[in-house]
Amino acid sequence: MQTTTPNEVLIQIEHISKIYTMGDEKVFALRDISLTLHRNEYVAIMGPSGSGKSTLMNMLGCLDTPTSGEYWLNGQDVSKMDDAELAEVRNKQIGFVFQTFNLLARASTLKNVELPLVYGGIKGEARKERAERALQDVGLGDRMGHKPNELSGGQRQRVAIARALVTKPSIILADEPTGNLDSKTGVEIMRLFEEIWKQGNTVILVTHEDDIARHARRIIRVRDGLVESDLVNPNPVTLLD
Amino acid sequence: MIASEYIESFSIAFAALRQNKLRAVLTTLGIVIGIAVVTLMGWALNSLDAAFDATIDILGNDMLYVDKWSWAGGNNWRLMESRKNITIEQAEELIERLKTPQVAVPMGSLWGRSIIYNDLKANGFTVTGVRATYTQTPAGNVDEGRFFSEIEDRYSENVVVVGYGVKKVFFPNSDPIGKTIKINGMQFTIIGVIAKRGTALMDFVDNQVFIPLNSFFGLYGKSIRSISIAVKAGSPELLDDVRSEVVGTMRIVRNLPPGKDEDFSINESQMFHEQVAEIRFYIWAIGIFLTAMSFIVGMIGIMNVMFVSVTERTKEIGIRKAIGAKRLSILMQFLVEAATLCVAGAIVAILLCIVAAAGIYFAFKEQAPFLTPYIPVPILIIAIVVSVVVGILAGLFPALRAARMNPVDALRYE
Repeated sequence: MQTTTPNEVLIQIEHISKIYTMGDEKVFALRDISLTLHRNEYVAIMGPSGSGKSTLMNMLGCLDTPTSGEYWLNGQDVSKMDDAELAEVRNKQIGFVFQTFNLLARASTLKNVELPLVYGGIKGEARKERAERALQDVGLGDRMGHKPNELSGGQRQRVAIARALVTKPSIILADEPTGNLDSKTGVEIMRLFEEIWKQGNTVILVTHEDDIARHARRIIRVRDGLVESDLVNPNPVTLLD
Repeated sequence: MIASEYIESFSIAFAALRQNKLRAVLTTLGIVIGIAVVTLMGWALNSLDAAFDATIDILGNDMLYVDKWSWAGGNNWRLMESRKNITIEQAEELIERLKTPQVAVPMGSLWGRSIIYNDLKANGFTVTGVRATYTQTPAGNVDEGRFFSEIEDRYSENVVVVGYGVKKVFFPNSDPIGKTIKINGMQFTIIGVIAKRGTALMDFVDNQVFIPLNSFFGLYGKSIRSISIAVKAGSPELLDDVRSEVVGTMRIVRNLPPGKDEDFSINESQMFHEQVAEIRFYIWAIGIFLTAMSFIVGMIGIMNVMFVSVTERTKEIGIRKAIGAKRLSILMQFLVEAATLCVAGAIVAILLCIVAAAGIYFAFKEQAPFLTPYIPVPILIIAIVVSVVVGILAGLFPALRAARMNPVDALRYE
């Protein structure tokens, strides 16, 4: 459990730009974006393809660094970090959930969930116990020895969520988490995210679907590399009683 | 890097190899052949070396031999032929003047002589005339009977001390002592047998008979051959002192003015070590060239398959990076995989070699008695180390490509 005051600033993005050079042409994926996110927020980042939404997500997830501007995550200036430092931030602070699950096909469910802890230097029994607990938390305590191809889509996404949660990260970053699932399973996954959020985690959804974004408490719309709107969701959909 | 990541690297490597068994086997074939060649070559050379060393030791590690001919100098054959023979008088003057050696003995030898016992005639023996003091050198160590005395030498008695080879040929089941053999048409009574000294490579040292030097001169004449002098220093540490005294004294005896080259040679077992070292170097150089070729072929194979493996697993690399794998972790993962591939190949090669070595040993025991039926452990360790190095070198470029992948692009790869 995280012991936090609700309004603590978690993410501070200041004047971030990302420019890709294609031949002689410069493409602005992000143009001077500034954002502030607090701990235990439930945010949806929305936008059509080409809007810069994915670039923003890669930036927030420390998979990529901005061309200019500053990104403060949990008090650290991430935008100036080198490759190894970014890898460590990803390992400790960020839990990714992808549209295509991105599990290692050859490894068991348990091994998949253990993997972030392997790179975090946690050994032996402690690692196994934490991975087992994370799997139990997503309701897959009885599927630990299974390979991903022996699981349903919803179960696979639960494994991916367990993998994201196992390091107790600052942010859960979910990229179209229900994009490959049927609507019923999608709802179950959204309920899981709500639970995770209720437990005190910060959840960022990246999506182009309004149905998904409706669950979030704050909706940021991105278009042409700019923040088009940043509003509190007046009528969030709640799946928990 | 953390221990848990190494273990992770190994488990990934084994899983990846299991996944592509046939591909792994075919790729490692080059390595298997390379390691097999280097191991078998090392084994054969090692066996040869041991045999060489044992052989060289026969000569005695504290012995010097003053001779007209150098054992080492094949190139200076003409020069040495033009040297004057060392006469018995010069030899005795030298021995008279020497102070440091334990013992010095003049000797005259003739090779390829035949010996007759009753109706049995055998060829290829060396007849050596020496003084009675020769029994103090390792080559004159009597096993049965006795060596001849100074008196027997002075009166040119027809007595002979035979090498172990003579006993083996003529008296396999009987006592040679007291028997009479014919050398150059003369009857000689056997009074002693020299202890067996020959090794696998040099059993001819046992095919030798020793007779009193005066009897030798009676048999073949005084000027038939240059005399050589066997000098026993007493211990290997004294060799340098003894050598300089021998050289200086021999120069006086041979009337050499200062500045003039010596017209005699000092031979010692060390020269063989040097010569053997040279031969060994060439054999190794050829062997290493051949193995290097097969390793290069093997390495290209492994590099190729590792590039394929990296490309196939681009997505996996992206996932690993996204959840916190550093470049070093990814680099290690693929290096370990390449090295594991090579070590697996090396283990297969070593097992084949162990079987082959035992097989070759038993099949060619007679022709190549210097071989050992096993491969020495250091050679096996070298083979494993070489395979690890080859694996790491072959895996380096593919692993670097994997490590440098941009996580965003890698994750997008389908």
